[in-house]
Amino acid sequence: MIKFFEKAPYAPVEYSYDVEEILYKEKSKFQEIIVIKNPHFGKMLILDDVVQLTERDEFFYHEMLTHVIMHAHPHPKKVIVIGGGDGGTVREVLKHKNVEKIYFVEIDEEVINVSKKFFPTVSYGIDDPRVEIKIMDGAEFILKKKSADIDAVIVDSTDIIGFARSLYTTDFFTTLRDCLTDEGMFVTHSESFHFHMDMVIEIQETLKKVFPVVDLYTAPIATYPGNWWSFSCASKKYGCREIRRIPEIETKFYDSEIHLQSFVPERLYEKLLNKTLKW
Amino acid sequence: MLRTFKVEKFHASIIPESTLFKVLKYLDKEVIETPFLLIDSEMIKEKVSMIGRHIRNSKIFYAVKANPDIEILKFLNELNLGFEISSEGELEILSSLGVEPERIISSNPVKSLKFLKMAAKYGIHFFSYDSVDEVDKLTKVVPHCNVYVRLSVPNEGSEWPLSKKFGVELDEAATLLTYAKDKGLNPVGITFHVGSQCTNVYNWNIALDKAKALWELAERNKIKLTLLNIGGGYPIKYTKNVVSIETIEKNVNNLIYDKFPKNIEIHIEPGRAVVGEAGIFVATVIGKAQRSDEEWLYIDIGVFNGLMESVGGIKYSYIVESYKHTKYKKRYTIAGPSCDSFDVIDKNVTLPEPDTGNLILILSSGAYTVSYASEFNGFSIPKTILIQRKGKR
Repeated sequence: MIKFFEKAPYAPVEYSYDVEEILYKEKSKFQEIIVIKNPHFGKMLILDDVVQLTERDEFFYHEMLTHVIMHAHPHPKKVIVIGGGDGGTVREVLKHKNVEKIYFVEIDEEVINVSKKFFPTVSYGIDDPRVEIKIMDGAEFILKKKSADIDAVIVDSTDIIGFARSLYTTDFFTTLRDCLTDEGMFVTHSESFHFHMDMVIEIQETLKKVFPVVDLYTAPIATYPGNWWSFSCASKKYGCREIRRIPEIETKFYDSEIHLQSFVPERLYEKLLNKTLKW
Repeated sequence: MLRTFKVEKFHASIIPESTLFKVLKYLDKEVIETPFLLIDSEMIKEKVSMIGRHIRNSKIFYAVKANPDIEILKFLNELNLGFEISSEGELEILSSLGVEPERIISSNPVKSLKFLKMAAKYGIHFFSYDSVDEVDKLTKVVPHCNVYVRLSVPNEGSEWPLSKKFGVELDEAATLLTYAKDKGLNPVGITFHVGSQCTNVYNWNIALDKAKALWELAERNKIKLTLLNIGGGYPIKYTKNVVSIETIEKNVNNLIYDKFPKNIEIHIEPGRAVVGEAGIFVATVIGKAQRSDEEWLYIDIGVFNGLMESVGGIKYSYIVESYKHTKYKKRYTIAGPSCDSFDVIDKNVTLPEPDTGNLILILSSGAYTVSYASEFNGFSIPKTILIQRKGKR
């Protein structure tokens, strides 16, 4: 059986996967999109040689990216999802009945098309009438958004060091804050707590320049290098650790208990930001 | 504008992701006029926190020659670092920052009278020497100052050896210590330099053995020394991993503990180790050519305006902006912008192909680059820009 070797330059490990079948391999305007089939994980979506999701375990990432701030927020109605062309995050947001509108901003239309074709269980929410698709750079969309009526922004990007880095700048966070309501919240993935602590700190510190409340939680993602994946969240008013709406949605991993224990314990968090954590 | 840089696996061992991230963010939003040197101040801070950590009773004196940029010096001054200088120019900058004389030493064994007078007036009182003539100068200009003699030690294994120009052998060093004492100076210690970018850990072993022998000779001559200045030499990562500061220092600390009195004071003079890895040169590809079998890449920084050390054998790592697939790489000779045929930085460098006008990043280039630059052929000296954490701390 042939193997696929992941090429993430900053991962000190190299993951490889058995390839049963190559289902798709094309270059889009922005990246190379590959879909393979693996005996354990099922179909896998790979962008520029980095695994984005697998059929078998994608829910860990999508649930944890979405539901934490969606439950910390008292009544999220309008949501922006940036990236996540596969539709997994949109699917999770739609589980919240009070959501009225999702702006789904993806730079690469091809990712949406590929996901619709190969990952129907992930992408089925994209065509929901509450979803408005915008094919453009997320940073630009936020910049053009004039009214402050958004309750939550979720960034579901590819590797930060690549072309997604415009979604991690002070400028972006500032314009994003200004399109949120006073109770608005934001979340983005922020790389491996284990391997990329320097990046976690960098993102946390950049967010702290813009938001009064910034926090950090983690989730186990088997197919992302370092596994112990971090999520940086920020808020204009409320803390993100508290659950303000009782979870009533159907999930495989996320629940109220997971919500509470996913946050980095305060002492560890303090050490991280003081840069006294070294491993 | 979002540029695409080809980041490869080996880059990850040279530049931390967070530093590269900051550099790329900077290059995305600014109007770019190359060449310039970008410095990640956080990385400097981290390096400073690592140096001296494993050597008991040590003080750090940043070798200003490595990069005398005013912003860098300001930043280091805020970290309360000491400074090692050699000239009135360097002293002038430190004086403009209000650095206390107690935090300044001069380890250049042969100093100009003009500099010495200025240093004396400023209140500096630690000087190295390795000749009778220097003692005579010091006696005249800075009577009663503290002096430490420069011992020559092997420089094998360091990429930038220095030993031949300075330093004396054991017997002469002992004589010079006595001579300084007779002249009314205060001989306090010994210094040596294992060579810059020293990747051979054993150089410190040999140097410390020799220093120990001199220490005993001095004792026999009724001179009680208290200071050991171990110079610099800590290597940085250019194209490959190097022995860590921690490994070097733990070894040095053990040796000092075994060989010298327990209350001995240690001075360290790092330059490259402080600013080298924190610096990334940003240059532009100004032309390409094929000459017989060789592919040439011309960039707007070269031997004369920043990359002088390439002539001495320092090889850098490059990250190029490229819109071609990483699979198609070429082997390049990289040359600077001047008309001088000596202006060649590197040969046999395999890179993804950039276009003219694309950027090229030169990693680990914070030390001994801009400080060597000249305006030869009308190319101006590159600016140094510090990426600092703004706003809340």
